[in-house]
Amino acid sequence: MKGGEPAAVAAILARERIALARAITTVENEAAGASELLAALRPHLGRAHVVGITGAPGAGKSTLIGSLLGAWLARGSKVAVVAVDPSSPLTGGAVLGDRIRMGEHAGHDDCFIRSLSARGHLGGLSRTSAAVVDVLDAAGFDPVVVETVGTGQSEVAVARLADTRIVLCPPGLGDEVQALKAGVLEIADLLVVSKGDLPDAERTQAELRDMLALRARAPGWQPRVLRLSALAGEGVAPLVAAIDEHRAAAGVGRRLSPSGDPSGDGASLCERLARRDRYVAALGVEFVRARAGSAEVALAIGDEHLNFMGNCHGGVLFALADTAFGLASNGYGSVAAGIDAHITYHAAVRKGDRLLARAHEVTRNRKLAVYRVDVERAPGESIACFTGTVFLTDRRHRP
Amino acid sequence: MTNSTEASTPVATDDAAGRTDEAQARWRAAYEREIGAQRTARAIRNRSGIVIEPLYGPSERSGQWYAERLGYPGQPPYTRGIYATMHRGRTWTQRQLVGLGTPADYNARLRELVAGGASAVSLIPCNSVFRGYDMDEVPQELLGTCGVVVNTPEHLAACLDGVDLRRTSIGLNDPLPFTLLAFLIVLAERRAVSIGELGGTSNQSDYLSHCVANHMFFRLSLAGSRRVLLDEIAWCIDHLPRWNYLSVVGQHMQQAGATPAQAMAFTLASAAQYARDCTARGMDPDQVLARFTFFFDVSVSFFEEIAKFRAGRRIWARLARELGARDPRALRFKFHAQTSGADLTRQQPLNNIARVTVQAMAGIFGGLQSLHTDAYDEALSTPTAAGARIAVATQNILREEARLTDVIDPLGGSWYVETLTDRMEEEIARAMARIEEAGGMHRAVEDGLVQRMIGESARRFQEAIDSGEQVVVGINAYQAEEEPGERVAAARPDPAIMRMHVERFRRWKAQRSPGDVARALDALARSARDASANTFESVVAAARAGCTHGEICACLRRELGFGQPLTVV
Amino acid sequence: MSIRPKVLITKIGFDGHDRGARVVAAGLRDAGMEVIYTPPWQQIGEVVKLAIEEDVDVIGLSSLATDHLLVPRLVDALRAAGAGDVPVIVGGVVPDEEVRALLEAGVARVFHPGTALAEIVAFIDSETGRVRAARFAATMREGDDDEQH
Repeated sequence: MKGGEPAAVAAILARERIALARAITTVENEAAGASELLAALRPHLGRAHVVGITGAPGAGKSTLIGSLLGAWLARGSKVAVVAVDPSSPLTGGAVLGDRIRMGEHAGHDDCFIRSLSARGHLGGLSRTSAAVVDVLDAAGFDPVVVETVGTGQSEVAVARLADTRIVLCPPGLGDEVQALKAGVLEIADLLVVSKGDLPDAERTQAELRDMLALRARAPGWQPRVLRLSALAGEGVAPLVAAIDEHRAAAGVGRRLSPSGDPSGDGASLCERLARRDRYVAALGVEFVRARAGSAEVALAIGDEHLNFMGNCHGGVLFALADTAFGLASNGYGSVAAGIDAHITYHAAVRKGDRLLARAHEVTRNRKLAVYRVDVERAPGESIACFTGTVFLTDRRHRP
Repeated sequence: MTNSTEASTPVATDDAAGRTDEAQARWRAAYEREIGAQRTARAIRNRSGIVIEPLYGPSERSGQWYAERLGYPGQPPYTRGIYATMHRGRTWTQRQLVGLGTPADYNARLRELVAGGASAVSLIPCNSVFRGYDMDEVPQELLGTCGVVVNTPEHLAACLDGVDLRRTSIGLNDPLPFTLLAFLIVLAERRAVSIGELGGTSNQSDYLSHCVANHMFFRLSLAGSRRVLLDEIAWCIDHLPRWNYLSVVGQHMQQAGATPAQAMAFTLASAAQYARDCTARGMDPDQVLARFTFFFDVSVSFFEEIAKFRAGRRIWARLARELGARDPRALRFKFHAQTSGADLTRQQPLNNIARVTVQAMAGIFGGLQSLHTDAYDEALSTPTAAGARIAVATQNILREEARLTDVIDPLGGSWYVETLTDRMEEEIARAMARIEEAGGMHRAVEDGLVQRMIGESARRFQEAIDSGEQVVVGINAYQAEEEPGERVAAARPDPAIMRMHVERFRRWKAQRSPGDVARALDALARSARDASANTFESVVAAARAGCTHGEICACLRRELGFGQPLTVV
Repeated sequence: MSIRPKVLITKIGFDGHDRGARVVAAGLRDAGMEVIYTPPWQQIGEVVKLAIEEDVDVIGLSSLATDHLLVPRLVDALRAAGAGDVPVIVGGVVPDEEVRALLEAGVARVFHPGTALAEIVAFIDSETGRVRAARFAATMREGDDDEQH
């Protein structure tokens, strides 16, 4: 698909439903043309308020989104929802069932809902969720809601993607509050106690408030705890108002501007880092593109890369993959130090071959991140597979 | 699923114990030698998961065992039947469910069935009616394709033209809020029949089974359904002494994939839920439970079904006492059975006649009070008249040619059947305990537990068919080339006649008094908001004032919430 | 990487029996597909919107009563919305002469009760491949046109 062409972009900007849906498929599958399309949409990003909703399975995320849709559509907003469901670790298949729980508003003309399978990706989102949000942002939807898989405390990926982070807590958490405390609770701008009509709801709300009070207060926005009964329709208006307030306080487009990188998504930082790397230059590695969490670099194999067998030296392949790994992991703005890496070689490489190494993030928490790099000769022809782990330091890259 | 191995291998009871023991050991050794190690290792299980032994023999069963576990027909625990005479006294009610096209079409078919031996009337409304809509608000191509289009008392009057309301037992497939029953009451009033003389059953009153397994009948939210059903029961106790206001349905759940044991367990757990709800409202358990009836699927798993019904009767006699009843009428487990459509195949459709026969026999030996046999062509389309005739004839043959009614509980005392009855009882009790732990049936349905258990069983059964472990003739074994001419044509109502039916309905609506209709619907809405009012009384009043089926359902959906099924994959 | 088929399993009309639809949805998931499963009684407009937004490869309708009689309306609505290339398959109890009518109306295939899951999986796989190849070819043609201008 020639996704980056003006006609395709114009159709997306005009919110033509079929074009938009097929563009999402292109970026979701990282199909041919996806990068060009995203590049063409870049000037149109940053208008949408991205609202992330996370919480354990059964906490009532989809029902909550249904209530929010009602309120937003009633005031004339054009709303998009990206709902991520888990995939089966055995077969990769998935049943995507969130949208049907969002109720009657799913059929509204100003509402666009897209279900994504996590496709084995950890952290509550699929690997390409952020790109899907970009397409919907460019199309002029505002807000764009992102519903995570909801498998628990590891879902911090939404923290970077969303401008307003809502964590949903069903009543009667008990011990789970302790687990929450260590995980998602830390990212919440708004904590919402769902199923507010259940007897434990009030106590849960009080417990969460106590917990917030114990935390060191950071300057700026102070997280709040709200109670909601989506079934009875109570608590929706105060939640909508709180979301508006947070938007006013924190702004939109967080995913586009990781701290320390004014260019937006880390792309310009990556480009600077790549230019600074003298080994890369000596080896002849070409910088293709990179942003926080992903990178692509290429290399044309020449005489200087060959070993005593006349094949490309394994160290060259390692260096190529390691370059993509380093750029992807450092694109967030803080220094990521490689602490472990492995490579498997699948095929011999000869002079004249052109190789492409693509890095993507497998998982990321506050201390560690794991990346996978695929080295290919032609699309789908795997040459080597590389995995690497970085330790995330607090140090920032110098501007 | 149980893992218990069969406890009742043959045990001797007489003086020749030693000889019998030795003979048994010899048989066992010969059996294992001759059948081969591979087949000994592989246990045979029935659909409920119970291991079936190759042979059952006499066990240590005393006179006391007989009195406690079996008893005589008409005596607790009713294992052998709920009446002293059973089918010798009165055979089962032959109740064929029919419904097609316009009220006039239905009336013609009804007269044909009565002439053919059907002893009671039943009415299946169109699926648009089941969903709570009037004919002028739905796509016309679906109208009357699965049932009769009834939206007003006038339509019901045309359906039941020539039927004596005083003498005929009428089965209405009428989910809450029971508009068809309200129309019947209005019709009786118009024909100057005292409503106290109306006899029959509100089939499809069991909203829990609809929420779990037949979503088409699920009209109001769970909480709203609970309220409206209790209102109907209370109203019927006061005004309709011969009406069976509640039929607790296991059929949908077994059709949806529950094992026979699960279906019985969920049905009994639902009955317990309804009984507790009624007594919590101050009703007398003896009075309330006496008019509970039950409705089951009967599958082709012959012995398992017989044991299911015998075990169900025994558990109900015990459960009803626990629920506070003492009157024998409340302890009797009265049930209607319908042969299972899920067992029928599209391939080699005439084979279905054999399946229906085996299913019907299982129901009869299980001691049913009322029976519907499916038409063999149900797996192909809405049953044809020819198919329905064979279904009725099957019952006549079993009753009058084969004389299955001559002996009460003819399989009682069979070592296999008695042992299997005990095992099924244990299996049913286990599933019921799980529901109780979850907080009772209403809660277990609300949380999706029942739906998940049924989904799991359905999947397991499908896997058994896919792997060939469960043989289905014509599907995974003995497949044959289809013979031309085996196919039957679908019966569809005449679109021109249906268009006229809709047109007449529109005109009828237009000539009503708008003020009367608006006032009646307003009163209905107010009764729904007032917990101390009886909503069914307002439904009857609304029907009297000319409100249509669709208007009544829409009003209560607005007030009490739409019945949204919980979807579990 | 081969892309997984994305399939909508749904029901239109009045019937609510979902045993078949659920077993098929679970089976397709286990075959590695991405499945969107809805409750019964979807309106035709809702199905069209969902199929477009989710960019599904195939729409599967389950019909146990007579709801298949509405399927031609759905096919027409898809065409009118510009999504006429999405194949529609029907599973359930459909009388023979109405199977013919459905195929003539544009339904890709009717599966009867008792069909092995593997057969359904294979058909969806091949339809997905066919439709994606056709769409890809169409975008390449459009691209060529653009370059000429």
